[in-house]
Amino acid sequence: MQQINNYTAAQPQKLMIFVLTMSMYGLATLFSELIPSFQVGIVEFSVEYFLFIPLTLAMLFDPISVALGAATGELVFSEIMLGQFGGLGELEKFITVTIGVYIAGRLVSNPSNRKLVGFAAMAGTVLQLLMGTIVDILKVQFAVEDFEAVAGLPQSVFATEGFAFLNDVLFSGILFCLLPALYLVPKLYGKIEPLLGMQPRTKDTWLDAVNVKVILGSLVGFAAAIAAEMLAESGFELIDWEAGWAESGTAFAIGMIVAAAVILVIILILRTNTSKKAG
Amino acid sequence: MSSDIKKKFSEKLSENIMDKMSIDFLRTQVLKNAYGNKDTVIAGLDPRILLVWYLFFGLIPWFSHDIIFLLGCFILVTITTMLARVAGLVLLLFVLGVFSQTGYLLIVILLFGGDASAFLPLLTLSLKISTVSLASITVFSGLDPDQLANGLMWFGFPERLSFSISYAYRILPVLLQEFQNILLSYRMRGNPPSRKTFAGNLKYLIYQVKVIMHAFYPLMLNTAKRSRTTVEALELKGYRYAAVNKEVKKIRLSALRLTNNDLLFPALSFMWVAVTLLISSLL
Repeated sequence: MQQINNYTAAQPQKLMIFVLTMSMYGLATLFSELIPSFQVGIVEFSVEYFLFIPLTLAMLFDPISVALGAATGELVFSEIMLGQFGGLGELEKFITVTIGVYIAGRLVSNPSNRKLVGFAAMAGTVLQLLMGTIVDILKVQFAVEDFEAVAGLPQSVFATEGFAFLNDVLFSGILFCLLPALYLVPKLYGKIEPLLGMQPRTKDTWLDAVNVKVILGSLVGFAAAIAAEMLAESGFELIDWEAGWAESGTAFAIGMIVAAAVILVIILILRTNTSKKAG
Repeated sequence: MSSDIKKKFSEKLSENIMDKMSIDFLRTQVLKNAYGNKDTVIAGLDPRILLVWYLFFGLIPWFSHDIIFLLGCFILVTITTMLARVAGLVLLLFVLGVFSQTGYLLIVILLFGGDASAFLPLLTLSLKISTVSLASITVFSGLDPDQLANGLMWFGFPERLSFSISYAYRILPVLLQEFQNILLSYRMRGNPPSRKTFAGNLKYLIYQVKVIMHAFYPLMLNTAKRSRTTVEALELKGYRYAAVNKEVKKIRLSALRLTNNDLLFPALSFMWVAVTLLISSLL
């Protein structure tokens, strides 16, 4: 008989973990998308993250399946389902959530150790928020033309992003990541694993501490997130130049219209032909 | 005065968390968004064409600073969004999202001594953001989830993503129902603090948040069971082998077929963009 001591999760288990995290975190991000944030003065209160769900699960299960499941869940439930898909920006969020959750999961050797769980939960949250903040600042710098030239804009961006970061760490981080994780992890430990046909994580079976490989991998991932923005910036110049050339030539625009009109006429003729054949 | 503000503040706090969020409303809106608009022009189009179309309107606006061109794109995607008959909730979220991204920034800029010169870049930025989000609303909310999943698969996106999309739309109503049941049972057994004073209100809010957090415990256990059932059912049908098999993919995607309507849509969009470029070059 096959021994059921797969802590390091066999493929079906990994898929189960993925599906579980995706649906749970997806549901939670759907809520956080819907609960409106409100402001008291300059400080914004929002239920930004239900990050405690993937954090909790990453401490109990295979971290990489949880991390990917969480990022996919957020993408599918709150971005695609609610039509909030933002293209390139989502890549950055996908990567930062994956890294934050994965590292938090790797930090915990014994899920019943509350201190370790609390430390890992905060570490994962702060890491994710910090990466998000850095990319956000870069993004606004690239999106707005003459970033430095607009009076008050650079300071205001740094101020809002800095505030948002502190705010998120203190409000979302402690209330919505630390406390729930402290409550859920020890409570779920040993109960939820058998439901997926696995053994609970112990000191002998965990994936070892975060090593150089993980840190390097995370750095590469983060670099990829920034690179996506940089790529947008260089594409920016290229297409800007082309568009500038197109805009300067009225003839070019007219040529495009003629081409479009020809295509339209051809399609319409094809269409009437097919409908005649069909009729 | 200050007690008045406090009262308002706490009212807002508790109102935001629970009272305005009716799970039933959410469920119907999501279902309506996914399956309620199958007969629209947009839903009838080929998903591959729409994804390419989205790639254009989701990317190009970021790279242009031409107000007329941006305005032209914005008008076009507004029309397509109307054609897609998107659920009200999604549109509401869109408006809130655009405001929170640029309206907030405008206030802070004024606070830091910026003047009207900051307004034009912000207008450009909001036009860009709205165009890109409306394009994504058209494609991702207008399409049937299975069509969307097939389209993404055709472009070589990981099978896991297509599976996630199809699965998410199906499981969400079930999950919402279950979450609501758990919350209701907590409510029935619980004894919420009185809301008469400010402190009481605050306690009530903390109580509500706590209930939501606690509700995730049974929800996680139940979802774990459900995930296992799902995966085992998939495994019975050889899902993991089928996912990487090219033959299976071919069979699954054979339903996708280009018609004349599918070509007409991008051609019309192209025409519109060309006209906007002409106008912007003339002005």
